[in-house]
Amino acid sequence: MHEVSLMQNLLRMVGIAASKQGDSPVTEIHLRIGKMAGVNRESLKFSFDILAKGTIAENAILVIEDVPFNIHCSDCGSDFNPDDFTLRCPECEGTSIEITSGREMEIDYILVDDESDSPESRDKMENTGG
Amino acid sequence: MHQINMGDDLRERNREIAAENTVMLKKHGVVSINIMSAPGAGKTSLLVASIPGLMKKYRVGVIEGDLQTSRDAERVAALGIDVYQIETGGVCHLDASMVHSALHQLDLDSIDILLVENVGNLVCPAEFDVGVDAKVMLLSITEGDDKPKKYPLMFHESDLLIMNKIDLAPYVDFDIEKAKSEARDINPSIDIIEISCKTGQGIEAWVDWMVRLCDERKS
Repeated sequence: MHEVSLMQNLLRMVGIAASKQGDSPVTEIHLRIGKMAGVNRESLKFSFDILAKGTIAENAILVIEDVPFNIHCSDCGSDFNPDDFTLRCPECEGTSIEITSGREMEIDYILVDDESDSPESRDKMENTGG
Repeated sequence: MHQINMGDDLRERNREIAAENTVMLKKHGVVSINIMSAPGAGKTSLLVASIPGLMKKYRVGVIEGDLQTSRDAERVAALGIDVYQIETGGVCHLDASMVHSALHQLDLDSIDILLVENVGNLVCPAEFDVGVDAKVMLLSITEGDDKPKKYPLMFHESDLLIMNKIDLAPYVDFDIEKAKSEARDINPSIDIIEISCKTGQGIEAWVDWMVRLCDERKS
């Protein structure tokens, strides 16, 4: 359940960003979470439901983009999209593997309503991909 | 409606504090190790079995992370060393800020090596850097040889894998070679030591590993 700590950080950073826009209400938060980031999506959403209350993001929709796990083999130059966390090249058995994506835990962008102060409903949370 | 592009990592604050911890430890010449495992793998037993050997060469300090109780800290303090207890109060891992507070409570000038015993958990501690020099993962063979595949991040993040309770090998269906090979698929450069805190097997190799780390970092 480190999702609670991550959500606390998220809300802090979103709060700072929104305050620079005149404390406009946040309507959408777009996250990029890697397949191998060790983050449980459901726990993250649950943490958001609990922790966002009373913050500038309490009516925001949380949208999570799943980032695929990709590796690059420096020995043979091949790129792969393995199903599990194996850092051995399936082509040449090399172990000089670079993880090119899949460990992200980042806020991509947020949307703020700087025109009206009517809060939007966030009943329908969305999860793109995965 | 207005879009604000961010690109901020959710671990950023933790990373900043971890970097401060690293600077603080370096300033006082303290080498540090984060010890992680599932509950019951034997982290405290590992400390109790190896600290006396380590103390022959270096002055040792310990940070004990626990959800509740100070039992582990009392076991370690009985060795006559400086121990600081962090009770996380339910949080399933140590983060950099908890360790930062603990560093302010320890007399860093009176220790050479700091052993940080994390909260028993195979998931969350892997994602929270606390700013130490090395990460060690303890896997007891009673937990099953499927753990590298099931908890790859922990194996990927660790510099050393210690397999504990090796004296129980004849009684459990744990394929040691398979677990080693799968751990190396996830982390090709990981060191592996087999030990038993019960019989003392391998403890010397683990003490030597820590001494080598200290020698390297202090030279």
